Order: sequence, then structure tokens, then C-alpha cells
Amino acid sequence: MAVITIDGRKLEVPDGKNVLECALDAGIYIPHLCHHKDLAPLGSCRMCIVEVEGEEKPVPSCKLQAKDGLVIETQTEEVKRLRMLALELLLAGHPEDCSTCPKYGNCELQMLIQYIGPKTGRLKYRTKGFAVNEENPLLLHDMNRCILCGRCVRACNDLRGVHVLQYNKREDLEVYTGALHNKLLTDANCRFCQACAEVCPTGTIRDKLASSEVRKEDYVVPCRVGCPAHIDVPRYIRFINQGDYASANATVREKVPFPHCLGYICVHNCETECKHQYLNEPVSIRNLKRFAAEHDDGAWKAKAFHKPATGKKIAVVGGGPAGLTAAYFGAKLGHSVTIFEGAEKLGGQLRYGIPSYRLPREVLDQEIADILEAGDITVKTGTKVEHVPTLLKEGFDAVFVAVGTHQGARLPLPGNDLEGVQVNTDFLRAFEEGTATVGEKVVILGGGNVAIDCAGAAFRLGAKTVDMACLEAYDAMTATDEERAWAVEEGVVLHNSKTFPQILGENGHVTGVEIKSVGNFRKENGRMMFDVLDGTEEILPADTVIFATGQRPTIPMDPEAFGLELTHGNYVAGKGPNGETSVEGIWAAGDSLTGTTSVIKGIAGARDAISAIDIYLGGDGNIDESLAPEQKKDPYIGIIDGFAQIPRTEPNVVPAPERVTDWKTCGPMDNGFDEKKAKCEAERCLQCDLRLCISAPRTWGDFSKEA
Amino acid sequence: MADFETQIVVIAGGPAGLSAAVQAAEDGADVILIEKNAAVGGAANMGMGPLAIGTKYQQRQMIDVTVEKCLKLFMEYTHYNIDGRLVKRYFDQSAETIEWLEDMGVEFEGAFKYFTKSEATWHIVKTDQGIGPRAASFMNKALFARAQELGVEFMLETAGKKILKDDEGKVCGVLAVDKDGKEITIACKAAIICCGGAGANPEFIKEETGFTFGKDLFNFAIPGNVGDGIKMAWEAGAAKLPVRIEQAANFEGIDELPTAVPNVLTQPNLLVNKFGKRVMDEEQMQNTTFLGNACAHQKDRVLFSIVDTSIVKDYIRNGVDEICLVRMNPDVSDFFEGVEIAEKTGNKGLFKADTIEELAEKLGIDPEALQETVDDYNDYCDGYDEEFFKRKKYLRPLTKGPYYAAAIRPGGYGTVGGIRINENCECCDDDFMPIPGLYAAGADACNLYDDSYIFLLPGNSMGFAVNSGRIAGMEAAEYIEDED
Repeated sequence: MAVITIDGRKLEVPDGKNVLECALDAGIYIPHLCHHKDLAPLGSCRMCIVEVEGEEKPVPSCKLQAKDGLVIETQTEEVKRLRMLALELLLAGHPEDCSTCPKYGNCELQMLIQYIGPKTGRLKYRTKGFAVNEENPLLLHDMNRCILCGRCVRACNDLRGVHVLQYNKREDLEVYTGALHNKLLTDANCRFCQACAEVCPTGTIRDKLASSEVRKEDYVVPCRVGCPAHIDVPRYIRFINQGDYASANATVREKVPFPHCLGYICVHNCETECKHQYLNEPVSIRNLKRFAAEHDDGAWKAKAFHKPATGKKIAVVGGGPAGLTAAYFGAKLGHSVTIFEGAEKLGGQLRYGIPSYRLPREVLDQEIADILEAGDITVKTGTKVEHVPTLLKEGFDAVFVAVGTHQGARLPLPGNDLEGVQVNTDFLRAFEEGTATVGEKVVILGGGNVAIDCAGAAFRLGAKTVDMACLEAYDAMTATDEERAWAVEEGVVLHNSKTFPQILGENGHVTGVEIKSVGNFRKENGRMMFDVLDGTEEILPADTVIFATGQRPTIPMDPEAFGLELTHGNYVAGKGPNGETSVEGIWAAGDSLTGTTSVIKGIAGARDAISAIDIYLGGDGNIDESLAPEQKKDPYIGIIDGFAQIPRTEPNVVPAPERVTDWKTCGPMDNGFDEKKAKCEAERCLQCDLRLCISAPRTWGDFSKEA
Repeated sequence: MADFETQIVVIAGGPAGLSAAVQAAEDGADVILIEKNAAVGGAANMGMGPLAIGTKYQQRQMIDVTVEKCLKLFMEYTHYNIDGRLVKRYFDQSAETIEWLEDMGVEFEGAFKYFTKSEATWHIVKTDQGIGPRAASFMNKALFARAQELGVEFMLETAGKKILKDDEGKVCGVLAVDKDGKEITIACKAAIICCGGAGANPEFIKEETGFTFGKDLFNFAIPGNVGDGIKMAWEAGAAKLPVRIEQAANFEGIDELPTAVPNVLTQPNLLVNKFGKRVMDEEQMQNTTFLGNACAHQKDRVLFSIVDTSIVKDYIRNGVDEICLVRMNPDVSDFFEGVEIAEKTGNKGLFKADTIEELAEKLGIDPEALQETVDDYNDYCDGYDEEFFKRKKYLRPLTKGPYYAAAIRPGGYGTVGGIRINENCECCDDDFMPIPGLYAAGADACNLYDDSYIFLLPGNSMGFAVNSGRIAGMEAAEYIEDED
């Protein structure tokens, strides 16, 4: 240890620690610009200069090492004069007008000007005349605003080991930072970790996605906030990269009790947000999740929380993914849970909506079994709850409702009741139960993922042709690209931007569907409108027609019957952020509350609701858990050649003819990743979360004493 | 259940909020100030100083400017379409505010005009070297230091979201989001909204003003100024007044070039619209509000300023015709370097052509129409501007290529106005009744100019910010005293 004196204050500090850091840590502000806590001192900006007793000239405090007896002054007239001069030199080459700079209000240079004094006039302002470079994905370079603090270069080279950014010199000797020979960052092995933008004190290197209206954590790591359940995506991908697959799975499990199922069928909002899409394609996050789940070792079970019994009883109405999630956490919180499920088996849409060739039933059954062993859970299948509030009278302290949307709709068009016309929900349920049949020529009406599943099931039942007609244009279809591509591979013929005025029939049996083109989509009074284009009629011959144009809850339209206020016909009316309903003590989540969305959204809603229920029952509502071990994040990510060009890894999918003809024996159509593929894909992750570990700048506003 | 408790919450720390916080604290109130950005000062960090009337500086500089004169000018300029009582209170207080600022260490260079025809009401904050942008950031620093000295608690990177009211309709708290994105509530008796308008919110501007940001409007967009304050006040029951753009003209896309380029193209030379016709006496171009309005009135909301090589060369030799306080330097010797930089960087703002015909094509004007205007204009230069009566000294013919031009479109410093306040800066509802405990100051409540910013009295926006902030601070402090 050494005792040093700063402005008359004695400080005990580690020997050799840089004096600027000593001062800042002790709450004494010394202005600085090129210095950054996480980077090696450079001493180039001259802002942090101080006078040292016994030395003739002021020296930068960031380069000064503490040693016993050191006495320094940070605010002498000479120091202030030199600081002012240094600032003046910086500003002579920095645009005068801040008002067009997106860093305004968060710019360290601007704050320094406020502290030291605004400098103008004496030196002639030099326009650097760099074209703003917006060609790179994710990062924008405006070298006119660069003050050569070198933080980006140090961050890229020393902190990250990526070695992309360096100092370049233009013909006229103007220095700037960038890749060698002004290469595009994508061609210079940039890892797009964005540490450069994070440490840049000015508006020179900017994150294109940054916004003053979005939480920083959310625009920096959009996958995590994009996931409705906020699964820590970069964390589990890093575990996979480190070869610790079980911990990766445990990370997913911290938020959802269906990691394996989601690995098969999740709609992956995380991938929609993934910043890698700006380089080429998003990281294949869902398949990584699945790979991790396949390598589960069950070690998380020992770490899961289990609170003592509370004596409180919760009824869960509906045993789908939302209901099972609520039951899982409810039981772990110590409550006694009873699940009421109308169908013969638990699983809801996972079982009766998603065909088994996409989601193997042993995977689903195993996860349900894990859930049921979480605590005191009683299951009553084949039991439909008619009037929900009655449960409160029957001794339950709280009720959670998630009955899903299991009722398909026949659109009101001529011929909708002909023999051979079916609806999505009944058809897929029958497919699950082995009782579904189709003819040879099938027409699916609708363009979502359920329609795709109906089409796939129809082929597997022996259909020769499957035509799919929907109102949406090709690029507006709600089906995911991947699922649509699979359907097309299997032979589905798409008819986009079509309306279907009538279903044709003979002798009571369907013979075809008339379709007509539509165009000129527009919004009028908030409603989507379009024109039907005359003369575009076409007949699709069919012996089977399946409506896949949406589905609703099976709740009766009469609100008295169900006992809860309803909305939009027969959806449960939400009354609060956590799925509160019109009746105290009853919460809801999932499709029957939100409209048909996704499994992950139902799970997320159930998490919020069970947390609120726990508080209602006297608990603290905390369902956070830490199932994975602490993670070592290595900020030194190093060089990967051609990083930006590495293509997205495609899963091992059974080819189209076999997966249809042999569907009963070939196992799941999508076999996900093997270890090699998983490693390769995990490495593509930009590790956006590393940026959040970089220390925040310390500006004079943080040091009230000095202000 | 509140996370924090205080008497007054000031929402945002620009000059209005800082002044409100200091004044309220001086009057004995406990104050928390929340600011969305990491630094205080807001848009005023770019500015140079506030308006004041009847100060010792004006006296010393022998400038005859009185509250009476300015109030009259204001009322007539706005066709009496404003709250005269509020303007009167603001003007009356403005001179004392200069001394109030000096007491906390702010120094002033003196009282200045923005351009020749304006009044010398602009009190520019002193820096060590000369007059220039950012001077007012020093004033903000002094206000910040004074506020801290008085015990005001600052919560940076914390954005106000909602005004909370109790059963009687009185303000009882503020809901905010802190830097970790966590919602917090601050219990209080009064709240002062000072969020600086909505200049960075294109949707809001479109909805409230009809302008399309980036198409026919190019205003400053200080990050974070997205109308939080206006929306909070409206939601809390404050009446809606028109939101206006604080107008100025924007010389499109040439700001990043050496200052000689904008300096030359803002001079009072030939100005034409899309039809190649003149629209005004170009001497009035100095009043950037007037120029912005003139642009807004044209087809495609655009005008073009045109010079020829001989005008440029004359300016390089002898200096430009007009200077203003933000473009003080008449030297434009590096104009041609600027043209080179523009060519090298693919700048789209500066047009260059060897002939009038070629220029017309580049500007999307009928070449014959432009040629005719240039011919007529050159004739006027030999005699008298019988079209718009521009003074002789500004009449310079266009004869020698290459010709240079820039597009001018409506721009602005952000939005002003939106919240109805009275002369005590109390937010008022549709019946003009104050909402107990709710105050607003600065740009969010600055409905002083009617439809056009008053450049004739420079320093107005910052002057109003500081003074309305002080008024809100003192009134709020009195209100909470009465409440206790």
C-alpha cells in the first residue's frame, strides 16, 4: 500500500495503481477523455494532467503510478490552462454543431466542454470532410467526430483481441480509425461485439440500433427481450460454446419448464431479433436450445427451489403449456395444485395441435412428467370446468385459467357444411388420435403455421395433392419461412392473395373451391380492406377442404355460463398486466386470453400470472431461480477468419419424400443439430451481452463534490 | 409504497428544469430532479444565452430596449394570439434573472442582436475566448452546481413517465423509469414538467404539425426530446395548445462542409422556388424564421439559394455581405476547398453547374424559367429591384459559371408549446383551472410565438426556459408550503 495526497486529501491506495483511478475511486473527479477503466492508459488527451510535487511539468495522471509520499494537485491554474488548451486543440477538429449528433446528451466530450469551458474562436476550425460510413451492418462510422482518443482501437485489440480497428492515415495526413485499407468490417473479421461503439466517448462510432426510447440492455441484447419469457439467450449459447450443454439447458429451464419441446417448435422471436441477421442470417437459436435439451443431465433438479407447503390450493383450468407452467411454479411455491383438463391427456396444443412428426410425444411426455413431480400436483383429465368461479367456492384459494383455442371456425361461405369439409382443430386432434382421414385432393384454406400443419398431416394421410389458398401475399403469410419451405418441399401448392367466395359440391359432397385474386390492401378506419379482382376466378378441385382460418376458445359465448367477463366474443377479458380477470382470485393466460399466439407467449403469461397469484396468497411472488452455475465470460473473443460470412447452420432434416411416406417410422422430420453443428452455430453468436460488462464512463456529474 | 419521497419533482434538467430546481430549493423546498440523459443542460448546451430586457448590460451598451417596447412588438407580431399576462411576467422578471444567474457565477459578454434587424436582447454567456456555440453549457453547469449545493437530488438517466394524482386530483407523485429500466415512483406534492418538447419524435411532429421529418422538415432532433412532458401533462388533464415547430430555415446537407460553404449560400443573393421564380426580398433571409416560413409556403416546401463564381470570389476577397452571431466570421477563403470536399464525399446538398441551364436541370427547375429570372435579376442589378425592392448593396448579378446552389427547407430547433399554463406556470385544464401541484416550463409550455418563432427578440427560448422555470419553481414552493 502507498499513501498519496490528492488536493490535500490523504489516500491509502495499492502501490503502483494509476493515480487517475485512485482519485476517481476516492470520489475525486479529474477530467479525462482517452482513459477508460477497462482499457490500458494511453495518456494522449492530456485532460487528466496534474501537478506532481517535485516535478517541473504537469503529467497525465492516468500514466502516473501511485507510490508512497506522492503529492499531487489537480486544479492549479497551470493545470487548468493546459487542459483548456488541450480541449481547444480537440475542438478545432470536431464539428461545432452538436444538434444533429445522436450522442447529444450522452457525449463525454460534450460533458467535458461543460466542465472545462466551451472553447471557440482562437483556432481555425478544420473540417475533416469524411463521408459518413453507413455501409457496415450494426455500426456507423462518422470520423468527422473522432477525437482520436483511441479507445475503440484499444477495445478492439486489447480487450477483445479481434484486431480489426487501427489508426489509418489519409493522404493529407488526417488520422482516423478503421479497418486496414478501409475494408468493410464484414470483410475484416469484425466480430460485431460493438465494444468500439460502447467505449467511444463521442458520436463517432455508433450503434445503429441505439435509441433513447429503448432500454439499453434491450437494444444491445434484443434476443433476450424479444423472447416473451426473457430466456437468457447469449448465456446459454455461451455454455454450448464452452461445451457445457447441461448448463445451457439449465439456463433455459430457469425461465421455462418446456426447454426440449420449445427446441422443436418454438416460433423463436429471439431469432427475429437476433442482430446477426444484419450480417447474413440470424443465429439458429431454437436448434441450439434443442441441442442443449438433448444433453440435459438433470443436475438442475437439485438446484431448483421448492418452498414449504403453504396449505393454499390453486385450481389450474386447462392442461396445456400455460396451465402446466402455472402448475409447475405454483407447486414449487408450496401451493397445492389441481389441474383440470378437458381432454384425455395433458399437453394442450403441444399434443392436439402440433403433429407428432414435428414434436415427438416421448419428448412432450417426459417434460410433463418432470413438471408433475415438481410438487403437490393433482391431475384430473377428461374433466371440463363449466363455471370457473365455482372453483373458488369449492375450496380453491385461487384459479388460473388457460383453456386455449381449440375450436376452429368455418367461414360463413356457401358450401361450408358439405361433406368433406373439415376444420383445423378437429382435424389435427383426430390426426393425433389416429382417426383422421382425407381424400386425394385436399385444399387448405388459410396461411398460418396451423394451415401448414394441416397440409403436412394431409400428405401423411395419403393426399395426392394439397393446395393452400390464403388472403395474405407470399411475404405477408403468418407461417414462418422455415415451416412454409418444408410444406413446399412436401408438395404443397401455394395460392397467395386469394379470397374464396364459395366451396363447390355435388350430391352433398365437396368437389372444389372457387378462389379469386385480391389486391389493393389498405387500412380503413383501422380495418384491413382489399378489393376482389374480377375475372380472376379459378376452381381448385377438391374432395377434402380444411378450414385453417383461425381458432377460438371453446368457452360458451354466454359470459354467465363461464363466469368471467369475456371479450371479442368468447375470449377471457384481461383486467391487468398479469392476466387478472373480472373476478378477484382468478387469473388467466395463454391463447384464451391473448388470442392464438405461441407456446412461449403462453408460458410467459403463465409465469406472470402465477407470480401474481403467489403474492395474492401471501407469498413474495418470486419465481426466479438459478439452475445453471456461474458463467465465465471471456471478453477476449479473438479472431475468427471470415466470421461475418459463416452461414447459418441448417439442421438435419429428413428429405421430403421419405419424411412423408415413412413418417410413422422415420422419427421426427427435423433432427436438429449434432455436436459439430451445434458448436459451429454457437460460435456464430455475436455475444452482444459482453458489451454490457464494459464499465460505464465516469463523468463530472457523478462527482457532486467537484461540481 | 413509493421508492423515493420529496416535496417537488422536477422532470428533466435543461435550463427550465435546472432553474426550477434551484429556485424551488432556494425557496426552501426539497427537490428531486430526474433527467433522461446522462448529462444535464438539454438542448441549451448548444445554445449561447437567454433573452433579458432592461439589464445593466443594455444600459451600459446604451441599447434602448424596454419591456413596454418588446411586449408591444410581441403582441403585434403574434396578432394578440398569445397569453399577454404570461409574456409580461416573463419579461418583467428577465432582467433580475440575469443577476440571479450572476450570483451563482455565470458571467455574460453583454447584450447582443442575432442579426442586424433584431433587438439586442440576447445575453450571451461569457467563455474565456469570444462568442460562439455552446456558451450556455457554462450556465447549465453553474445552475447544476448551485442546485447540488442547495441539496437538490439528481437522478440521471431516469425518465419521467406519468404524473400521479390522488383522489382529490392533486399531484401526489411521479412515475419514472431509472437507468436499469426499472419503474420507480417518487412521492411528491408538486411536479414541474420541463422536458423540452418533441423535436426528436417524427410521428408526434407529423400528428401535431403536419410536417414530415426528413422530407419537408429538417429540425434539430436532440435525442430524448420525444414529447414525454407534453404527453404526461395532457394525460394528467392539462389542456392542449398547438404544438409548433420553432421555425428556422435549413440549408440542406451542407452543414458538414467547411463553414465557408453555408456562409456563402446564406448570403442575400438570388433565391428561387421550384418554378424558378423569386419569392421575397432576399435581405430578409437573415431572419431564419421568415426564410423557413417562405420555404414552407412553396411547392415541395423548398427554395434554392444561387451564387455564381464572381460573387464567391468577391466574398473571398472582401468578406461576405452579412454576418450573424452564429456565423461571425466573414472569412470564406476556403469555399473552393469546401466544394472539393463536397465532391469527394458525395455531398448531396451542394449543387454545382457550369451553366444556368445545367443548374436548372439539377435543381428540377424548368431551364427557360430560371434563365428568364436570372436575366431579369441581372437587369435589376444594373438598376433597381422592381420585383421585391431589395436594396442596391445586395444586388449582385449572376454571370460567371460555375454556379453554386443549395436547397433550403423548413427546419427548426425542435417543438415549442403544447401545454396550457397560466402566468404562474400552473398547468391548466380546459376550463383554465389549475391542476393542483402541476407546473410546466420551457419548450413544453412555450406557446409564446403563435405560429412563428420571434427571431426579432433573440434568446427567447432559453430566456423563457430559465424564467418560466424560476416562476414554476417559486410558485410550486409556495404551493407546497400552503399544502403543509
